[in-house]
Amino acid sequence: MKDFPKYLLSRVGLPESHTLRTYRAQGGYAAIEDVLKKPWTPEQVIGVMKDSGLRGRGGAGFPTGMKWSFMPDITKDPRPRYLAVNADESEPGTCKDRVLMEKDPHGLIEGCLIACFAMRAKAAYIYVRGEYRLSYNRLQAAIDEARAAGLIGKNILGTDFSCDIWMHKGAGAYICGEETGLMESLEGKRGHPRPKPPFPAGSGLWKSPTTVNNVESIFNAPFIVKNGAEWFKSMGVPKSTGNFLLGISGHVNKPGVYELPFGLTARQIIDEVAGGVWKGRKLKAFFPGGSSTGLLPASMADVVMDHDSVKAAGSMFGTAAMIILDETASIPQVMDVTARFYDHESCGQCSQCREGTQWLHQIFRRIAHGKGSMADLDLLVSLSNGMAPAKTICALADAAAIPTLAAVKHFRHEFEECIRLGRDPLRQDTQHAPELHEAHA
Amino acid sequence: MTKIQINGREVEADPKQPLIRACHDHGGDVPMYCYHPGLTPVGSCRICQVEVAAAPGQPSRVVAACRTPVSEGMVVSTDTPKAHDTRRECLEFLLKNHPLDCPICDKAGECDLQDYSFNEGQGKGRSSEPRRKLEKRKSLGDVIVLDEERCILCSRCVRFFSDVTKKPQLTVEGLGSRSVINTFMDKPLEGNYQGNLADICPVGALTSKKFRFQARVWNLSKTLSTCGECSRGCSISVEALRAKEVKRLRPRYNAAVNQWWMCDTGRHAMAPITRPLAPEGAVLGGRLRGAAVRGYNGLELADESAATALAADMLAAHPGALLVVSPFATQEEATTALELARALKATPHFVSPAANNLKDDLLHTGDPCPNRRGLTELGFAPIEPAAALAALAKAPAAVLAGERVLEILGHEGLAKLPTKLRLVAYDVETSDIPALDVVFPVPTHVEKSGHWVNVDGHRGVLNVAVPPPAGVRRLDANLAQLARKLAATPVGS
Repeated sequence: MKDFPKYLLSRVGLPESHTLRTYRAQGGYAAIEDVLKKPWTPEQVIGVMKDSGLRGRGGAGFPTGMKWSFMPDITKDPRPRYLAVNADESEPGTCKDRVLMEKDPHGLIEGCLIACFAMRAKAAYIYVRGEYRLSYNRLQAAIDEARAAGLIGKNILGTDFSCDIWMHKGAGAYICGEETGLMESLEGKRGHPRPKPPFPAGSGLWKSPTTVNNVESIFNAPFIVKNGAEWFKSMGVPKSTGNFLLGISGHVNKPGVYELPFGLTARQIIDEVAGGVWKGRKLKAFFPGGSSTGLLPASMADVVMDHDSVKAAGSMFGTAAMIILDETASIPQVMDVTARFYDHESCGQCSQCREGTQWLHQIFRRIAHGKGSMADLDLLVSLSNGMAPAKTICALADAAAIPTLAAVKHFRHEFEECIRLGRDPLRQDTQHAPELHEAHA
Repeated sequence: MTKIQINGREVEADPKQPLIRACHDHGGDVPMYCYHPGLTPVGSCRICQVEVAAAPGQPSRVVAACRTPVSEGMVVSTDTPKAHDTRRECLEFLLKNHPLDCPICDKAGECDLQDYSFNEGQGKGRSSEPRRKLEKRKSLGDVIVLDEERCILCSRCVRFFSDVTKKPQLTVEGLGSRSVINTFMDKPLEGNYQGNLADICPVGALTSKKFRFQARVWNLSKTLSTCGECSRGCSISVEALRAKEVKRLRPRYNAAVNQWWMCDTGRHAMAPITRPLAPEGAVLGGRLRGAAVRGYNGLELADESAATALAADMLAAHPGALLVVSPFATQEEATTALELARALKATPHFVSPAANNLKDDLLHTGDPCPNRRGLTELGFAPIEPAAALAALAKAPAAVLAGERVLEILGHEGLAKLPTKLRLVAYDVETSDIPALDVVFPVPTHVEKSGHWVNVDGHRGVLNVAVPPPAGVRRLDANLAQLARKLAATPVGS
């Protein structure tokens, strides 16, 4: 693999990388200083973000600059406005934001300041996944340090720009990573996603204009401001610019978080970045972007890892959280586990999702335990089509339905084999799982 | 108003209301579970999905009508195969864990889920999974019992407390398919509006403890009526088993008075309208079966025209009679009572008990006189029970007329009245009052037609929901007859 410029993880290897001193020594907070003292206008910041082509790193790949520009005109809408940073990273397979928060929290803080400046937000809320205790502590310490240094609070760096950053800890619900669920949770309510419209930019936190961005998206902002849109566009492919953080896990020799440019194929990533499939085995399948994205078979490993190419292959780039499955993995078992996750994490508002995620899980579980019937496979497809696309308030139903459809499409023969044999030939443990929802009885 | 197209027709829709209202107003049959016109829409049950295009010829998509604002020129179809299919899919999910115990469910017959399943559902379910096993009869206080298995988690009940009474008491507990409705910290429900939960629950999850297993709803006749528990006069429906026995009182939508709600005091005010009859041949111990006059052995049943003649004679012979009507008197009864007042040369009064402590900022006014405003407008003066009793003690004669007038004046006080008082009464039931000379039975307010005027001046209608017992005549007819007799026998002659 040829060499490429790196910036996202450029500081994480440094000693004491999470401290203000290290960050400053690496040119930290120069971007916000430039923005405030030159000074830039908020429109200029949004402009460079738009020009950069940065696409949101939270899963949907929506252009970040465009999202910022949706905030209403301050002269016509005087409501306070907020930035919410989605650090509730809980998609199975995703672990990239954690590295940034633990190792480079000031980078995120500077990004927040730039985003708040651009959107004229007076406050940013960072919603951190509850289990990420070190991320929370490091970020909190960094915020305290920055505040003491006059980088957060009133009249930042002696200018008339004021901005506060607050932290909020999640309590373990996947659904609170959905942007409207996150806002409900931030407001102190149950994390039930809100129907859209109204969109957050029109009515978000406390009914005020709000933008919700992923950690990595915000983290990119200081680099783009400092180096310009052209620099950013020089990396990656035309419609997916810059570098991204890849989280690769599963049956590979070197799982971990890597900074990569867009444009590599999945096979290159598995073989050249992650050291190949472990134990000399063959690749069977992989989730390209977390468990909510459709499973792809090994035959499709030559797909280029960027938003549009993965979409064309029938899956999603998601959060670039590749989960690699080798030839010994049983797809029925993988889907049993995946479906269990969505059954457990559905918020329960929408009928299709509440009942559908449970139903899918029950069917996958039966098949994986050799109790399936051939009719189950068509039922899985039919149920998934009843849950998605876009039939519910948020995309959790889609997240359960999409991998289901992909698994049945690409691995129907494996399910049929389990059903025909009355057992899963690839199952290694003989233990029988407890009955579903025993706790209810 | 916004111009939109629904099922091919150009219609005007209120832009402040969600699309589902426009669909319902213009004949689109769209089912709903979580949506209730009186509650904040949440768009969670997804059963109200319709096909919508931004403009003619534009690509269409299926959306939840309860959370979709109307926009100029939008094209809505409630009846296309795509809309039906999407709703049918949604219904299948809703029925996945629903116990389908309609044969033993109180809601059967008026259940939105049952109705829609009947219209659209598949004959056979595709789920072979075990259904959720949850609590079948969880008490939520004195009024409501929850069947967790039947619940489809529409959250109407949760929103009722947060939106209508403004005191949240219920919540969804748990996540996903493990969600259940519960009160905070398992505390029983409080307040005077719990009964509404049984009405707004679209399925049989929340049922009324009082109505549970009392009747199958298809055997209930429904009569438009008005609640008599306070001067709000909520519009209600009186529901009687086979048109004979009142089993349930429910609110009926009235935008100007009570919207969709009523209080539990009114809902459970069954005792005054389901009073048992006095034993055959007896005057006391239950509802009066016919006119009675004081005879050798106290009050004895008598021929009604003879009793009327006797009353007229007594009143004619003892001028200066007092006329006090019940606060339950209808406008029609009161108008006739005015004729009687003229014949008696008496000032018309209505007995006005003191305000009770049930007043709240939603519906209950705390004033137990349902027709105070109407009676006052007709010229009746309010008189407190104690003042009325004091006046009665000094009066030569008196006529007390109307449902529960004796009860409101107080049987104890009435029993102490001097026997020289010539007392004529019209009521549903009497006690052994020594001063009482003649008494006539009257129908209750669910056994007669008429009107009350509520605190804000709205006329509330009363209709015959159940027939009065044999021998019980309308009060206005009885009063008119007495007035005619008196006119023929001038007072003081």
